[in-house]
Amino acid sequence: MSRRSFLKGLIASGALATLPCGLLLPRNASAAPFNKADFQIFRNACPRNCYDTCSIVTYVRDGVVRFVEGAPESTYTAGGLCVKGYSYPRRVYSPDRIKYPMVQDGRGSGNWRRVSWDEAMERIARKLLEIKERDGNLLGLALTKYSGNFGITNYGVEGMMSSLGYTTRLVGTPCWPAGIDAQNYDLGDMWCNDPEDMEKSRYVIIWGANPAWCSVHSMKYVYAARDRGAKIVVIDPVLTQTSAKGDVAWQPETGSDGALALGMARHVLDLGLVDRDFVANNAVGFEEFAAYLRQNVTVEWAAEKSGIPADEIRRVAEEFATARPATIWIGYGMQRHVNGGAAVRAIDALVAMTGNVGKVGGGARYGHLQTWGFNYHAMIQKAPAGSIGFTGKAGPKGEFDVTAGAAAAAAYTDRALNINKTAQELLDAQNPPVRVLWSSCKNPFAQDFDRNKLEKAFNKLEMVVSVEQFFTETVRHSDIVLPVTTLFEEWTVNASYWHYWVSLNEQAIAPMHEAKSNIEIAALLSKHMNRLSPGSCTYPQDIDTKEWMEKEFNKGVYDLLGITHWQDLRKGPAKAKMPSSASWSDRKFKTPSGKYEFRSDLCASHGHKALPEYKEGRKPYAPYRLLTPHSKFAIHSQFANLDWMEEFQTEPFVYLNPALARAKGIADLDTVRVFNPIGEVKLRAKITNTVPGDCLLMYEAWFRKLNFNVQNLVDDESADMGAYKTGAPGVAIHDQFADVARA
Amino acid sequence: MTTQKTSLPRQRAFLVDVERCIGCFTCAMACKNYYHQETGVVWRQLYPLDEAIYPHRERAFFSLACNHCENPACLNACPVKAYEKREDGVVVHHQDRCIGCGNCIRSCPYGAPRYNPVLKKAEKCSLCHERLDAGKQPACVQSCPVRALRLVDIAALSTTDAANAVQYPAGYPEMPQVNPSTRFIMPRTPRVVRR
Repeated sequence: MSRRSFLKGLIASGALATLPCGLLLPRNASAAPFNKADFQIFRNACPRNCYDTCSIVTYVRDGVVRFVEGAPESTYTAGGLCVKGYSYPRRVYSPDRIKYPMVQDGRGSGNWRRVSWDEAMERIARKLLEIKERDGNLLGLALTKYSGNFGITNYGVEGMMSSLGYTTRLVGTPCWPAGIDAQNYDLGDMWCNDPEDMEKSRYVIIWGANPAWCSVHSMKYVYAARDRGAKIVVIDPVLTQTSAKGDVAWQPETGSDGALALGMARHVLDLGLVDRDFVANNAVGFEEFAAYLRQNVTVEWAAEKSGIPADEIRRVAEEFATARPATIWIGYGMQRHVNGGAAVRAIDALVAMTGNVGKVGGGARYGHLQTWGFNYHAMIQKAPAGSIGFTGKAGPKGEFDVTAGAAAAAAYTDRALNINKTAQELLDAQNPPVRVLWSSCKNPFAQDFDRNKLEKAFNKLEMVVSVEQFFTETVRHSDIVLPVTTLFEEWTVNASYWHYWVSLNEQAIAPMHEAKSNIEIAALLSKHMNRLSPGSCTYPQDIDTKEWMEKEFNKGVYDLLGITHWQDLRKGPAKAKMPSSASWSDRKFKTPSGKYEFRSDLCASHGHKALPEYKEGRKPYAPYRLLTPHSKFAIHSQFANLDWMEEFQTEPFVYLNPALARAKGIADLDTVRVFNPIGEVKLRAKITNTVPGDCLLMYEAWFRKLNFNVQNLVDDESADMGAYKTGAPGVAIHDQFADVARA
Repeated sequence: MTTQKTSLPRQRAFLVDVERCIGCFTCAMACKNYYHQETGVVWRQLYPLDEAIYPHRERAFFSLACNHCENPACLNACPVKAYEKREDGVVVHHQDRCIGCGNCIRSCPYGAPRYNPVLKKAEKCSLCHERLDAGKQPACVQSCPVRALRLVDIAALSTTDAANAVQYPAGYPEMPQVNPSTRFIMPRTPRVVRR
């Protein structure tokens, strides 16, 4: 059948609108009868670094994703997704998607031209061989990758680097490192209760988290607890959407969380509400902590530091200590401070001294990696024989570094640079300098700090390769862009760091345009490297993404999930079988003492205090605190650029307290300048009492039609902790300051 | 939602539980996900409550689509009988009959019918009757992560729901002549402790 007659046939059968060339053009807006049998149904999983890591059911007809829903099998997603998840069909078929490899003649010039995959890869391979020849090693090649796609097979990006030799890696995480270290000092690991057991709590404190926006599926457990009589207390300097749903909303001084927790701990101590059995039998250092509290902490002091009245602190502390079980959800917001790790330790201590660690419905909830025991086959690759690498301090790691220790015996390592100081590290790296940067699963210009400095750093690079789906600001600063598949176009598997469901991600449609998955890109690069210089890359040259799924699973994962083969997950997501919904239910902690450590000598040996003592915050360098938290319409820079999302979010705003607006002569919806020593942005202001009088609030986002970037104003000041477990300290994203004026 | 086969619901309706609603826009996007409306055409939208009604800006919302009124203005205004009120109360717009005259758009006091500039016809929330008929929930209702949006039969609202639900909350126009079916549960405010 010729193409012409095929098309005629389609017109006759009324199926033309379903051809991929007219993807997602609106159908007739009259509702058509729904028949499940009209669709092929696939399993997908949202891979975008979110608590919820939703399990998706994808409805495909004629090779086109028609719509998505949440998997009903997961009690966590329970048939639903979030506003971002439901925009996925548009993401796949967005007219803005990068369709084929492109080369930009003159970085930032906009002079893009289409090239073949072969031409793009040959260009990159020649450049890599050239710098290897010049430097005698490949440390001039740096990888920056983070959480744009957490699908397990995407660790093949790291594997691709390893297969080339020893390279430079931007390591660490801007996300949660200070808290990870804190929980490791206190408990020996980061391990949270199943969020589904929050409904059994009698008292819930949500501290520096905003699940109503950032973990929508967790809110039903918060509501369930409240429906069963629990009180919900939300602590956040901003009256967030979650605060509005609580019974009590505390708006303390930003960064005073440690003082507040210690004040509450002192009151619990004074009232004699300490769980004596737990602190005597399951913990070390409690008496020292108690002595510290008695000598250094009073409720009045905590009130002064935090601005929360002493009587209020006493009331909540007492209610928390007498409700059993009681729990605190420690968010990733409150630890993004120069004293964030110390604050998490203080909160852990409050939960532990009230005997709520290890209890169903209790717990100091932060995150977990219990369901991440995959093989990381895509990642674990050998350097070519004779590779020369770095001989300085230990090489990179990350919070998902499951291969820890494997490379210990090697003579060389990769070179580690702090991802939270990307701009400065790229500028400073020497012998050799970073010459080529490979960016994948990440948008550095939206995620890395001090955008102006980052531009200088990029200007020093000899080649920038971006693996992307959209023309982001990072792509604009690249020489070559390679189109990468969406979740619907590849096989992978996804686990959450919050709930305990693991979901298969099936390839539901053929890759759009010329997109390739990260592991296919690695294979293609390997082919070109070896053609030009045999033996220069160990990555397999032919891979089948489905076959590679097989290589990621092992008996441990199967047993944990209660399945015998990964294909069982095609029937639906599986939940890890844990001895209890409570973490640490056997009270065997992974600390050096095997007990909960109010006093951590390990913490002290890393240059911090042994006890969870109060640590001062960062000194202001501009008149107002600048907060740049997550929006509900985006995950960092992802999703806000879709026209479907623009129906609901058209532009960014800076949110100001009425008193501050009055003082500055700013009226609602006025255009203003927000500025500080590192940069400025212009946007419109919304006046609201949800923001305290000394704060400026702007949400992270990427608007494809606007020149707006919160990173113009955020510097790279480090948090106190993070280096122990994630390879680099966290970043004090919320210890930022700025001024505002009418534009 | 279980429907009794013996007695068809008399008036299906949305129950908007503003107390539970977190303003996440999931319902609105779930509708776009299912129907792929033209850019600028939105069947379900979230409206933040004015601060006079809820004291914190953009912290309480009405999620609104077509109200599937008892006496629909759109149906009464349509010259070509493109609208139908089903036995279960769902107001259906048959786009194949629509001539794009815009009478329904002008007559609906709640602005539910929208103009599709490509098809040059009207369209509006169908209450996913095609999904209902297949035993599924409307896309928006199924999507809600906190069960703040529910499908009810207002002829048989449970006593708890009926006691809490209101037809004309502050900020929502009172239009008894059409008798809108949507019901609301109003939000509460937390005890706010500021520094």
